[in-house]
Amino acid sequence: MELSQVLLPSMGEGINEATLVKWLKKVGENVEKDEPLLEVSTDKVDTEIPSPASGIFLQAVASEGMTVEVNSTIAWIGPQGATIPKLTETTSGLQGMKRRSQDQVGQGTTQISAPTNSANIPKNAGHVPSLIARGGDFEELTLKRSSPLVRKMAFDYGIDLRRVIGTGANGRITKHDMDRFLASPGAFAEPVSAMNTFAVASDPLLAKVSTKVVDGKETLEGVPVKREKMSKMRRLIAEHMVESVRHSPHVTTTFEIDLNNVVLVRDKCKKAFADKYGFNLTFTHILIRAAVLAIQRHPIVNVSVDGDEILWKDQINVGCAVALGNEGGGGLIVPVIKNAQTLSLTDIALKLTDLATRARSKKLAADEVVGGTFSVTNPGGWGSIHSNPIINQPQVAMLGIGAIVKRPVVIDNDKIVVRPMMMASLTFDHRVIDGEGGAMWLATYKEILENWTEIPSL
Amino acid sequence: MSTNTFDLVVIGSGPAGYVGAIRASQLGLKVALIEKFNHLGGTCLNVGCIPTKALLESAKTWDKLGHANEQGFEIGSPKFSWNKIMGRKDKIVDDQRKGLRFLMKKNKIETFEGHGRIAGKGKVSVTHSDGKVTSLETRNIMIATGSRVRELPFAKSNHKGIMTSDDVLFIQEVPKSMAIIGGGVVGVEFASLFGRFGCQVTVIEMAPQILPFEDEETAKELTRCLKKQNVIIETNTKLTSIQDKGSAGVEVMTEGNQPRIFEKVLVSIGREPVTDDIGLNTVGISTERGVIKVDLATYKTTIDGIYAVGDVIPTPMLAHTGSAEAYHCAEVIAGKKPHKVHYESNPSAVYTYPEVASIGQTEKQLKEKNISYKVGKFPFSPMAKAKIEDSTDGFVKILFEPKYNEILGVHIVHARATEMIAEFSLNKVLEGTLDEIAHTIHPHPTLSETIMEAAHAGLGGAVHL
Ligand SMILES: Cc1cc2nc3c(=O)[nH]c(=O)nc-3n(C[C@H](O)[C@H](O)[C@H](O)COP(=O)(O)OP(=O)(O)OC[C@H]3O[C@@H](n4cnc5c(N)ncnc54)[C@H](O)[C@@H]3O)c2cc1C
Repeated sequence: MELSQVLLPSMGEGINEATLVKWLKKVGENVEKDEPLLEVSTDKVDTEIPSPASGIFLQAVASEGMTVEVNSTIAWIGPQGATIPKLTETTSGLQGMKRRSQDQVGQGTTQISAPTNSANIPKNAGHVPSLIARGGDFEELTLKRSSPLVRKMAFDYGIDLRRVIGTGANGRITKHDMDRFLASPGAFAEPVSAMNTFAVASDPLLAKVSTKVVDGKETLEGVPVKREKMSKMRRLIAEHMVESVRHSPHVTTTFEIDLNNVVLVRDKCKKAFADKYGFNLTFTHILIRAAVLAIQRHPIVNVSVDGDEILWKDQINVGCAVALGNEGGGGLIVPVIKNAQTLSLTDIALKLTDLATRARSKKLAADEVVGGTFSVTNPGGWGSIHSNPIINQPQVAMLGIGAIVKRPVVIDNDKIVVRPMMMASLTFDHRVIDGEGGAMWLATYKEILENWTEIPSL
Repeated sequence: MSTNTFDLVVIGSGPAGYVGAIRASQLGLKVALIEKFNHLGGTCLNVGCIPTKALLESAKTWDKLGHANEQGFEIGSPKFSWNKIMGRKDKIVDDQRKGLRFLMKKNKIETFEGHGRIAGKGKVSVTHSDGKVTSLETRNIMIATGSRVRELPFAKSNHKGIMTSDDVLFIQEVPKSMAIIGGGVVGVEFASLFGRFGCQVTVIEMAPQILPFEDEETAKELTRCLKKQNVIIETNTKLTSIQDKGSAGVEVMTEGNQPRIFEKVLVSIGREPVTDDIGLNTVGISTERGVIKVDLATYKTTIDGIYAVGDVIPTPMLAHTGSAEAYHCAEVIAGKKPHKVHYESNPSAVYTYPEVASIGQTEKQLKEKNISYKVGKFPFSPMAKAKIEDSTDGFVKILFEPKYNEILGVHIVHARATEMIAEFSLNKVLEGTLDEIAHTIHPHPTLSETIMEAAHAGLGGAVHL
């Protein structure tokens, strides 16, 4: 058994770092190769990282809550009592290790000068968050000219340095400025909950309210409140939503669609499909397939806006919002069915089932949640009949699907019949799509669904 | 008279005064500089930093020559000419004086030779050696009159057996024996100088350690090394009397000891500000034991338009400190808004063998203030470059705060310590931490690698020990 360093693996293009959510193994425990070792969260996806080797989990270099760069050392696994090369715990300790790992991986680690014995594994190896954690939140928080010491303090207190006034050379934030800021009444709403308030409040995207402490209880407009810090995912969602509304003028238009034909077709092949694939063909599958067809006829809903230019795309990648529920730790994730224009109804059904299952068990690869060009959300599943989605940037439209409800409708010849009706709302970006464009897309969508004939290949 | 009207009159041309004058002139002010001594440069250039360092360099060379045979040079037994050593020192001082003259001219600073006194707000008088007086009108005054040797009231210098540092810099030959009263910076430097040239030196220090303001370990290491340079160190020792007995030598009595005879006695018990005859009372500036109180953000005294910098104010009596203050003060006077002088990064430097350089707090101070700290220490002895340079004495000791690894104090003892401390000063100014020091690649082989190793040691990963 060899001593191995566990590096944070690459999780797909554009993902340079991840936050360590949880160690799934304890130091000292035995780990098998490919067994889940830790859980990480990126701004795209939460996922488990399997152990690259078998052995004893000797040392955790990164600790929970820390943001770590891809390819940096996060742990050591090896035989009991193996000597672990000491990280010098410098800011680049991890980067340094990264280079070593490239040079020396697979050759054992004997070349790494290891002056200490295993008894010297620092107790809090990795408990130097400011040293190891870089990127992500940390960099965001410390964008302003400041000093290493100030950056450590900012990271430690979760302070957005953009809020701190720098009085040093060229506006540099000094320790003195930081001390003053920390002492100011505005720095923390309440000392006890300082960290909580801060991490949330520190982001200018998310508005702050002012609370008062009355009789030792924090209150908002006289109502006692209890603070709780948002999870990373919650905060990211919050930020994305605020940002989206800020960026795009949202307009929503709604059509009522008769799903009679869809129900008939589905009923016909339902059983055979379930027998063959082991899951049900759902309305969602058909509704997505129909959306792809409508997009092909009105590709304006599949663009992005870049300044005063429009970016046309030759792929239709449909993001499908999947609520993670409590089981998945709450929150929302939008896995993407890529190149949906090339997929049959069955392909879409298979793909979506696979993505949704893995989303709920946090096994999505990070690049499975990026690159969407159009999104669908289906609050109808909970009984909502009409929704007003917020666009998933940088896309320009999102389809909201309402519950399918039987209603009396007037059809040809003024006859009243009972039909499975559904409200479909399209929220679109008025910068590029006018009311007419939105309505035309929905009209086409309605036409496709009301004349549905496509059956899944079996 | 209008030609004698200035924006700024600087009194005193030491490292504080002349730097302030130059900076003010650069910023467009019309500047006059008054100096009572017949050379510019103050204590530092004439009887302080420069001549002492010149002599100490000769002691270093002498030391090296003593080891030359070991290194394969067959030079027999080397000899020195004290006269020429002093001549070299004088030449260096003289060159620098000329350089200063040139700088004054280049910066169009009008220099007045004579005793400057504040004669009221905006008024300075210069009394020349012939008794004539020149009156200057000025919008601002910068007091930079520096300091002078503090003497023992019962044993004033007679420039013969009992000397001050001013006298000893012109001593005709190396005495056989010398008592040095006071083991501060000046005392230990002269001890290391004369000791190496063969004088039997006894340093008499009242405090429990030499260099009382330096870290205890520094004093210990220096004491150890000085012993090998013919220097005996007596700490916790109180002087009771000194009597110059002419050709019989000087008799020195310390508490609880028999009287002892030394060829020479150097009294180096400190320095005092020169503020008694500069007209402070005409404008109502008060002093405390000679020291002028100022606002450390502007160097303003209690009187508008009058500033003070350098050895006359209650900051460390060091040339570079005075220069930094004066530079800053000139900018304030010129209406700029400079950043405050960064005293935490202010290094102290002692040019003994080995040298001592430090910034910040000592371990004792941290303990007294109840500040928690960690130590990163590394000796020079295992370092290749130290062996190559034949200077394995000393260490780098870094005291840092354990939360962010902010550096609280640095104590370097080594033949080249003073050249290495600036790295830490910069680190302090940039508000760096130990991590940046450890993370900085230092060239190999150098002595400065020891700094990196000490940082690694502090973080738990020194390599070369
Ligand atoms: C032996 C020795 C070695 C030293 N070595 C070092 C060293 O290595 N490094 C270091 O940093 N420091 C050293 N110092 C300390 C350093 O010399 C002083 O801190 C520094 O010179 C102070 O600068 P200053 O400009 O405030 O005053 P000074 O250098 O004392 O200059 C004041 C000037 O003002 C003049 N003056 C005074 N009164 C009047 C008046 N009324 N009118 C006109 N002119 C007047 C004086 O003649 C003098 O030239 C040493 C000192 C001594 C004695």
